[in-house]
Amino acid sequence: MALDTSIKVLVVDDFATMRRIVKGVLKQLGFKNIIEAEDGTAALNELRKEKVGLIVSDWNMPKMTGLELLKEVRADEELKSIPFIMVTAEGQKENVIEAVKAGVSNYIVKPFTPETLSEKLEKVFQR
Amino acid sequence: MEEELKTIEDLIDQLALEIINLDEGDILGLGKAMNLIETLEDKGDHISEPNFGKLLKALKRYVEKLILAEETDVDPLERGVGALQAALRAVSRGESYDDNLSAMLSELGRYGLEESNASDSQGGNGSEAEQGLEEQGQEEREACPEFLSDEDQEVMADFVVEALENLGTIEVNLVELEHDPSDADIINAIFRPFHTIKGVSGFLNLAEINKLSHCAENLLDLARSGELSIDADIIDIILESVDMLKKMIENVKVALEVGRRPSSNEGVGPLIARIQDVISASKEHKDKPLGELLVEKGAIDREEMERVLEEQKKDGNKKVGEILVEKGLVGSKEVISALREQKRVGKKKIDLQVKVDTKKLDTLVDMTGELVIAQSMLRQNKRILSVTDQRLFHALNQLHQISSMLQKTAMSMRMVPIKNTFQKMVRLVRDLARSSGKKVSLEMKGEETEIDRNVVEELYEPMVHMIRNAVDHGIEPPEQRLAKGKPEKGTIELLAYQRGGSIIIEIRDDGRGLDKEKILSKAIDKGIISGVEQLSESEIYNLIFKPGFSTSETVTEISGRGVGMDVVKKALEKLRGRVEIKSKPDKGSTFIITLPLTLAIIDGIIVRVAEQRYIIPALGILKSFRPNPNDYSTVEGKGEMIMVRGELVPLVRLHHLFELSERTIKPWEGLAVLIGNENEKLCLLVDELVGKEEVVIKTLGEALKNVKGLAGGAILGDGRVGLILDIPGLFAIAKNSQDLPAYSVQKVA
Repeated sequence: MALDTSIKVLVVDDFATMRRIVKGVLKQLGFKNIIEAEDGTAALNELRKEKVGLIVSDWNMPKMTGLELLKEVRADEELKSIPFIMVTAEGQKENVIEAVKAGVSNYIVKPFTPETLSEKLEKVFQR
Repeated sequence: MEEELKTIEDLIDQLALEIINLDEGDILGLGKAMNLIETLEDKGDHISEPNFGKLLKALKRYVEKLILAEETDVDPLERGVGALQAALRAVSRGESYDDNLSAMLSELGRYGLEESNASDSQGGNGSEAEQGLEEQGQEEREACPEFLSDEDQEVMADFVVEALENLGTIEVNLVELEHDPSDADIINAIFRPFHTIKGVSGFLNLAEINKLSHCAENLLDLARSGELSIDADIIDIILESVDMLKKMIENVKVALEVGRRPSSNEGVGPLIARIQDVISASKEHKDKPLGELLVEKGAIDREEMERVLEEQKKDGNKKVGEILVEKGLVGSKEVISALREQKRVGKKKIDLQVKVDTKKLDTLVDMTGELVIAQSMLRQNKRILSVTDQRLFHALNQLHQISSMLQKTAMSMRMVPIKNTFQKMVRLVRDLARSSGKKVSLEMKGEETEIDRNVVEELYEPMVHMIRNAVDHGIEPPEQRLAKGKPEKGTIELLAYQRGGSIIIEIRDDGRGLDKEKILSKAIDKGIISGVEQLSESEIYNLIFKPGFSTSETVTEISGRGVGMDVVKKALEKLRGRVEIKSKPDKGSTFIITLPLTLAIIDGIIVRVAEQRYIIPALGILKSFRPNPNDYSTVEGKGEMIMVRGELVPLVRLHHLFELSERTIKPWEGLAVLIGNENEKLCLLVDELVGKEEVVIKTLGEALKNVKGLAGGAILGDGRVGLILDIPGLFAIAKNSQDLPAYSVQKVA
């Protein structure tokens, strides 16, 4: 199944370089419409402003973590069906389980390749 | 009872449905299954059939494995749910269920039997699972290099800047942490940059940086969970990691400049080994975690502690310490301070920001400067002045206003708070105090004061030097301070504020103050003064800025590095700044640095010398006057002098200095401009004063960089170019006649 790359993607990470890397990977997959936010609070603002088709968020961020953002998104009638991919670091098993329980669409472990992300995206959009 | 069984049955049915629809890697579905299983565990608590619970536990573990991609086959889940349904049927019939269970459990990986206890209490060190993720990361890392190759360099450059910034915040927070080692917010703030650097360096294939930041992260994670208590040694090792990371990232920067991958760094291995030692040492004490210690200390009773631990098991994300503080069971002070912190963060207004290359900013500032000048050239154009059109003048006025506003905005964009520079001093003071055995605290005021970022960069070294001096020479050792009736801990204060067109930075210490006698005798020893001069207090203090002067009798590791305060002064003069000293014995010293608000614009007085225009920075001008022939004299060996208010001041003829004219005008035919630099004065002889103007400074370029007496050039309002005089440079020329061009003094004499 080909990915629909016309959707708007929100990349959330407090580290600008990381956002850039994630954006780079997304661009390689053909996504062009990418916006950014530097933490959960900023992400929620963006989400309430714009129609977003996919969220790729880091876990560890100041102010509002990725998990808190995920919970907010899933609790919001308007936003709850947006696919949400959590980026986690190696060896953070509890985080992964926690995010999965909170309804994350998929998770991806840093560092990842475009292929891995593409696979995960396909799984997410299969449903 | 029956109703409860019905609920459980429904839940199991839902679970079965979820599992049937499950595809490989369907995280969303697995999440739902997981939640259902946990609800079942909750509701099925009192079901007497022990195998029911075991089955649930095994199912949960298996779902976890599926989530973590350690298993891919979903079939065992289906069979597991089938068994669950059978078990429930048996329970509702009041029978016991043991049908084929052991085979089932073994198929589900035997999780939940032997291992259930071990992995529960250690909430998350399920090492196998972790391994799985680790390997996955490893594998993908190797696949990394190709995919960023185009952008690689740019991303790396971004990473260098951002990582260094982040490391800077670590240092400040660490010093704060030393004061309050239990502050979870601070620990987390320190943890985060390491975590992020680890993540990004993984992408960029910077294996050593990745490894070290990972190690440091692990260490801090232990501190976060309360399994490791922070002490000065731990802080030292974290600081060392910060230093090492900085070094490695600097290496990356250098490597980027030459366009190859960074070479490896020595010393990373041993540092990592040391961190790991600390980590494993703390793990040995793991049987006595935070909770246990608190119970021992009597801060909380055992029952309460157990309840908290129970809660922590359910909510695996929270650490014991966190829950304790949250519940106010321990350390209510911390709770209050955390709440305050929270409020402050909440109130902070966040402005949207964009990062811009500073070169672009510099160009913008330059261009707006040019625009202002072009605009004023237009306004002064004779033809335009002769037009009597109201609308034209209205438009010109508007152009003037807009362009000067534009200029101000452009300049303000280059302004940054002095905070970052100040904060770097926190670490410095800590290190200095620790290595000299003194107790020093650093206080900062006015960190928000903004200053041109080009100035900020140049300011760092001189400030480091002055603070070194303050700790090394100013602050006394604790026992001496106590003997003097002062608090044991010395204080260094950094102040920044704006006054007029200048930024003032004060470095104050409450140490022993400058010793006038000692300075004088040293200056005589070193041949800086002859000893017959009558020097004012400030003149004596200023002697420490002379080349070759060093106040410390013993050369210490800290400040005895062969560079004196003269270097500080030179650096500040380069920024068109100056430094003053105030001092009182046993009360301390204050160094007051005055800097121009920006390097880009100066207030200048324009003078004509022969056919040329020169700009004298207005800050340095004391007065201008037409000399009286009676006040003019020639002193043997010193050249021409003019008497100003009873003081003989050397006269410098700009005509000769800049080789403009062979003609020697009589001083009273021209104009004397009296300029001052510290306590010295000099008269510049010019033809006339032309006017006062704000000018945008342009550098003279590489070729003219070393011309003495000139600070730069500027385009004047009439479109002509004027050269800006460098006041300290002129004094240097006047003092050192060897520097004078051969024709000048000799011809006059």
